Amino acid sequence: MTDQPSIALINAELDGELDAAQRADLARCLLADPQARAQREQLRRLGELLDGMEAVEPPAGLQERVFAALPQSHFKRRGLLSPAWRLAAVLAGVVAAGSLVFEAVKGPQPRSDQLTGTIAAQTATMVDTVGLGEGAVSGRVSLYRDRAELALQFEIVTSAPVDVLIASGGHTLRVNGLGGPNKPGASSGRTVQLPGFEMEGQPVDLTFLMGGRAVGKTTLRPAAGR
Amino acid sequence: MNEDDDRVLVRRCRDGDRAACEALFGRYQKPVYNAALRLLRNPEDAKDVAQTVFLKAFGHLADYDPSFKFYSWIYRIAVNEAFNVLGSRKTFGEISGEEPDEAPGPERRVEGEQLSEAIEEALMSIKPDLRTVIVLRHSLHLSYQDMSDVLQLPEKTVKSRLYDARQLMREHLLQRGIL
Repeated sequence: MTDQPSIALINAELDGELDAAQRADLARCLLADPQARAQREQLRRLGELLDGMEAVEPPAGLQERVFAALPQSHFKRRGLLSPAWRLAAVLAGVVAAGSLVFEAVKGPQPRSDQLTGTIAAQTATMVDTVGLGEGAVSGRVSLYRDRAELALQFEIVTSAPVDVLIASGGHTLRVNGLGGPNKPGASSGRTVQLPGFEMEGQPVDLTFLMGGRAVGKTTLRPAAGR
Repeated sequence: MNEDDDRVLVRRCRDGDRAACEALFGRYQKPVYNAALRLLRNPEDAKDVAQTVFLKAFGHLADYDPSFKFYSWIYRIAVNEAFNVLGSRKTFGEISGEEPDEAPGPERRVEGEQLSEAIEEALMSIKPDLRTVIVLRHSLHLSYQDMSDVLQLPEKTVKSRLYDARQLMREHLLQRGIL
C-alpha cells in the first residue's frame, strides 16, 4: 500500500507545488514503490481529465437578468460616471449637438480635431466621431481617450433599445440596452468605458443588434490622423 | 485574472459606474457559472446561483476589502450560494446526485461524452466539501493559497481535502475501468 507521504508528494507534484527537495523525495519513493508509480499515473490521468472538462458558456440573458434585477439607483444615485468622464460626456453632448447643427447647416462633417480643441483641454480627448444618419440607428458615436483608457460616447436614437458589440484589437465588449425612441426632454447619451482596450491605432468596430439581428455597423479610427 | 484590472473595475463599479460593473460581470460570469454547474450539476440551479452571486457581489461591494483578491471574494460567494442550494435540496429530500450510480463493471470503456459524464458522476459521488476543492483547483485553477482564501480554511486542510477527493474519484473511476 502506498504510504501517505508518497500520496501527498504525488498530489503536490500534480499541482506544481513541489520544491527541489520534495521532488527528490518523490523520485526515491517512486523508484522504491511500484504501487506509488501506478497511483501517480492514475492521479495524473485523473488530473488531465478534470482539467480537460470544457467550460460551458453561461446561458444567454444572464447579464440582462442580473442588471435588470439591480436597483437602477445603484448606478444613478452614486453617479454613473467619474467626474472626468462626466465632464467629458457633458462636453461631448454639447459638441455632438453643435456638430449636428453644423452638419445640417454647412453640410460636411468637421474633422474631429476641430472638435477636440475644447475636450483636449480636459482630461478626456475625443479621438474620432461618426454620425449615424441612416437605417435603424441614428445619432452619433464618439471615441474618447482619457490617458491610457478609451471610452465611447453614444448619442443615438433607435426605434427600440439596441445591443452594441464593440470589437478592437482582439478585445470585445457587449453593451446592452442602448438607445430607444427619443423622448422629449430625455437624454439618450451614454458613455461606455472600454477597460482593457488599447490605444494603439486599431479601428474600433461597432455592430448594433436589435432583437439579436445586426441592424447597423460603423467603425471609429483612433489613428485616422484627423 | 489580472488583479490590478480587477481593483480598478471594482473601484469604479463601487462608484456606480455601470460599464465597470458590466466588465466585471463579463470577466467572472463564466467561471462563476461553471463552478456552480460543477458543484450542482444542474444548469438551472447554476444559473440561479450565478445570478444571486452577482447581485450579492454588486450589492455588497462596499463590504469588499480591496486588500484581498476580488476573485477569492466572488468565488467564496459562489461556493456559499451553491452550498445553500445543496442544503435546500437535502431539506426537500431531492436526489443530491451524491449517490454513486450502479457500477457498470471494470470492463467498460468510455470515450468522449461518456467520459465527461463519467467524470461528472465521479465528481458528484464525493461529498460537497471535497467536490468544492476539486472545482476550485481544476475548474478555476486556483492555487492552494487561493483555495485557502476562498474557503477560509488552513492550507493544510485544503490540501488534505484535495488529496482525499482525488483518491475517492480515482477509486470511483478505477471501478468503472476508466483509469
